Amino acid sequence: MSIVDTEDKVSPVTETTSKKTNSIEQVRYGCAIGAMQSVAAIPRAIPITHCGPGCSDKQFMNLAFYNGFQGGGYGGGAVAPSTNASEREVVFGGAQRLSDLIESGLEILEADLFVVLTGCIPDLVGDDVGSVVTPFQKQGVPIAFAETGGFKGNNFTGHELVTRAIIDQYVGDYVGPKTKGLVNVWSLLPYHNTFWRGDLTEIKRTLEGAGFKVNILFGPESEGVSEWKAIPQAEFNIVLGPWLGLATARHLEQKYGQRFLHVPVLPIGAHETTSFLRTVADFAGLKTKSSRKKLESFIQDEETRYYKYLEDFTDFYAEYWWGLPAKFAVIGDSAYNLALTKFLVNQLGLIPGRQIITDNPPDEFRDEIRSYYRAIAEDVSTEVEFEEDSYAIHQILRQTDFGHKPPVIFGTTWERDLAKELKGAIVEVGFPTSYEVVLSRSYIGYRGALTLLEKIYTTTVSASA
Amino acid sequence: MGKKTAKQIAIYGKGGIGKSTTTSNISAALVEAGYKVMQFGCDPKADSTNTLRGGEYIPSVLDLLRENARVDAHDAVFQGFKGVYCVEAGGPQPGVGCAGRGIITAVELLKQQNIFEELDLDYVIYDVLGDVVCGGFAVPVREGIAEHVFTISSADFMAIYAANNLFRGIKTYSSKGGALLGGVIANSINSDFHRHIVDDFVERTQTQVVEYIPRSLTVTQAELQGKTTIEAAPNSEQAAIYRRLANKIADHTESKVPSPLDAKELREWSSSWADQLIEIERKTQYVAVDA
Ligand SMILES: Nc1ncnc2c1ncn2[C@@H]1O[C@H](COP(=O)(O)OP(=O)(O)OP(=O)(O)O)[C@@H](O)[C@H]1O
Ligand SMILES: [Mg+2]
Repeated sequence: MSIVDTEDKVSPVTETTSKKTNSIEQVRYGCAIGAMQSVAAIPRAIPITHCGPGCSDKQFMNLAFYNGFQGGGYGGGAVAPSTNASEREVVFGGAQRLSDLIESGLEILEADLFVVLTGCIPDLVGDDVGSVVTPFQKQGVPIAFAETGGFKGNNFTGHELVTRAIIDQYVGDYVGPKTKGLVNVWSLLPYHNTFWRGDLTEIKRTLEGAGFKVNILFGPESEGVSEWKAIPQAEFNIVLGPWLGLATARHLEQKYGQRFLHVPVLPIGAHETTSFLRTVADFAGLKTKSSRKKLESFIQDEETRYYKYLEDFTDFYAEYWWGLPAKFAVIGDSAYNLALTKFLVNQLGLIPGRQIITDNPPDEFRDEIRSYYRAIAEDVSTEVEFEEDSYAIHQILRQTDFGHKPPVIFGTTWERDLAKELKGAIVEVGFPTSYEVVLSRSYIGYRGALTLLEKIYTTTVSASA
Repeated sequence: MGKKTAKQIAIYGKGGIGKSTTTSNISAALVEAGYKVMQFGCDPKADSTNTLRGGEYIPSVLDLLRENARVDAHDAVFQGFKGVYCVEAGGPQPGVGCAGRGIITAVELLKQQNIFEELDLDYVIYDVLGDVVCGGFAVPVREGIAEHVFTISSADFMAIYAANNLFRGIKTYSSKGGALLGGVIANSINSDFHRHIVDDFVERTQTQVVEYIPRSLTVTQAELQGKTTIEAAPNSEQAAIYRRLANKIADHTESKVPSPLDAKELREWSSSWADQLIEIERKTQYVAVDA
């Protein structure tokens, strides 16, 4: 359904401003070793970092502190041991120091899984980290390692490297039966996406409601390493998002012969969530009457509640229209960017003014991502830009025609000043979100969509006072 | 009057070409002539100064650094033949760590602790590991360390390739205040033909040959005694050649930016020499059959 229909045309992408600079102002992602927080996102797992002093602290502070003030978790942040490699480790190699650190770490830390992540120093010097970690693995220590030197890419890349390392070195080979109805979910980047905990919770809740058993793998609803060990038993993998997780799913396809379902748009609202659940059910081949009945009765239950609230909201929306923005911009990671754009256009009838993706998705995914935006609604097509430098992003936004009403900007803390400048409203939806405390809040699914509506319109309404 | 600054010289060349042997003989000749000299081995093998110290290995700067967080640079300085100062940078075990960074660390340590000034040196000679594989091995040619670089090369093409590569490194750093090229020390030159090859190469790259050093058994004999030729056979013809080389280096003042050949030029140049080689070979065979 669409609350308001729009025929408006989208303003074209400006070519002049998207010229590349050789610097990045106000970063929008971390280093590959930032994936230490992906390890910390697995209950009772602890990352061990082999890197220079300051590397892990900086990643943790950026990703987990000044981003929703999420905290470091059981094993992340200040808990994570680090070699703090210095000149001596550069010249002579840091293998021995790492080995000592693991050994003493094992004595004082209790964890179900350790993952060693390397930084630039050992990766440049060529420390043979595998030869340090393998003997521990042979002794039965639950430990894996990933080479995550900064030059490998950002923390999205690091996340895929870490995931793969755990699968290959800890989960290991599997021959045996698959468990009917069990799925693995690969979706938002933990910690980096400010709302990942609430969102993964909602994904798990809805999939379970639809009758699936779910390995959500990261976050408070994960059962930890037992879920990871059960990855090979899953019937299939779900990649929920435009690109992150696809590499993992392809690997699992090869490794365990698992199929995967790629759903590029994270579902926000009843329409998308229902369609997501039906897509998964179809992919799973749910045919029996009872399984279909379970699915449909869950959907009906959720939709009833959702639309009841939406009905109440419609009063506000219809009466207050003059005070609400008509156009929006989204600046953020591809997963949220795409999902929000879809929701705002289809469900709220807002007009897309500018979409800028900031997580630097690998080139091979970009055309596909562009195509999602071109078919964002039946009657709306829009263009998306890829830009990581905030200076350039803000220039693009300044040059965007948002019409006679100030826009609502879905962005990050970096857009706060700009929103003031444009006299618009800002809803912080991505890294870094430094002026919000985020615990279990979710913006997706049935429940999260309502929270998102509350957030958007509280922001716009309160701006008028 | 302020203290004099030591003249700093770096010697480069392909592995095994004779850098340490030649450098040690230059150092020996210079101390013998009354100068204060330090030989600084920039090679993880830490064997540069062996023949200056009766074949004995000394602990390297990095050996000391491996054991202690803070190192007194004096502990890495040893004296050898006629009081020559010997320092070895040292490095990690082969296959681990970063030897290049080790060289930087060792050189910086001595610089920071003002050892060169304190010892009132006239000459510091760096004997640097063969191919300049990474930034660390280029450190002696960077700004503020050596002013003059000499390359040792034989007439072998691989040695000349290595020299040419070094020229490229020098050229890169030359615009940033780095060291310039003094010339080529032609080692193991025992025939006119060898001499012509090296002469042709220096002409094309716009540099010069500083000295031609023959391959000689005297050198081998001295080495087996753990000595330089200067020490073991002071009156030999070979020692005289090393002294002449040392004098030229002592007097040398003007270094230049070389013009290295690019990959294609180098290939063409070496194949033209290969053709000449075959021609000569063919002629000598022809003469032999004819006779
Ligand atoms: N002119 C020469 N006559 C006879 N032998 C020589 C001569 N020059 C070098 N050599 C011999 O060649 C061998 C290699 O020399 P040297 O160790 O000086 O080379 P290097 O360039 O320092 O090698 P590396 O790169 O391994 O440090 C030694 O055994 C040395 O005695
Ligand atoms: Mg040597």
